[in-house]
Amino acid sequence: MHAARNIALCTKDCLCLFICPTGATDTENGQIDFAKCLDGCRLCVDACPSHALYLVFDRYPVKPDKDVAVVSALDNLLESKAKQELIGAALAHEGNGGAKLAKAIAHSDRVLAEDCAREARYMLPQSNQTRKLLTELLGRRGDPGFPVEAIEQLLELLH
Amino acid sequence: MEYKEPHSSGALAAICTNLSKACDKQMRPTEAGLFGKLAAYFSQSAGVAGPVSFNDLDTCITSDTESGYVAVETRAQQVGDRGALRCVTWGKKVTTIHKSVLVRYAKQGDALMEGNNLYVCEACGFIAIAKEVPELCPICKAPASRFTKI
Repeated sequence: MHAARNIALCTKDCLCLFICPTGATDTENGQIDFAKCLDGCRLCVDACPSHALYLVFDRYPVKPDKDVAVVSALDNLLESKAKQELIGAALAHEGNGGAKLAKAIAHSDRVLAEDCAREARYMLPQSNQTRKLLTELLGRRGDPGFPVEAIEQLLELLH
Repeated sequence: MEYKEPHSSGALAAICTNLSKACDKQMRPTEAGLFGKLAAYFSQSAGVAGPVSFNDLDTCITSDTESGYVAVETRAQQVGDRGALRCVTWGKKVTTIHKSVLVRYAKQGDALMEGNNLYVCEACGFIAIAKEVPELCPICKAPASRFTKI
């Protein structure tokens, strides 16, 4: 569990620099040096006057299983949104009137599809359902250009 | 628990960008990049067959509002899945706005966008046609910083 900084909230009062025992809060890129940050220390989180620091967890709880019928209905909606995104993208590529509107609709449909995916069991990258999907996708390793190494790395990094 | 539905390439792309964003929020840039790579692969292998028109979008939207969202909402209410109900609450409103935007575009054509910008809320998908970015999303209350200008 390490600290992270929301740069949009940071008011540069720099109390985190005073309190941090390792210097992890003082960096040239504005973010905490995660490697230096002490596990669960949270001194900077409590010291920050603008609530710009928060804790990022290393482990996340196992979620209760989703109802099969809810997931099935959300999967259908996810497919519909994905299809609309593709239609929007095709219309945007045609370059005639309404191309910009089509682009906005495609973008919006991606956000809607992502929300369906989140509620239909793919909320956490570390979840069993995500791992199950990644493992199934390994079966496509023969497809041309399929990024199988990306999946292998994800399965190794996420748990 | 077995969830059976296989996903299309387009849906897999959205699943992967969702997980990539989740990794970003967890400050895991390596994992975010890997999911991004997968999403790019699926986006590139997804596509629609044949020519399409705004009418095709309208058909899908009608199906979502008349049956897609109703199916999720009915079952989510039965089992008390408030997360799914939240998704329906936002999604139905955003989808209805897609419909009204298409109706307005059919009437006004490009004049609809004249002098205006297009903004999309990254949290719920709300589309704003306005001169300035909205201060607050009217659907999900996300701040102006969560909007993307198209």
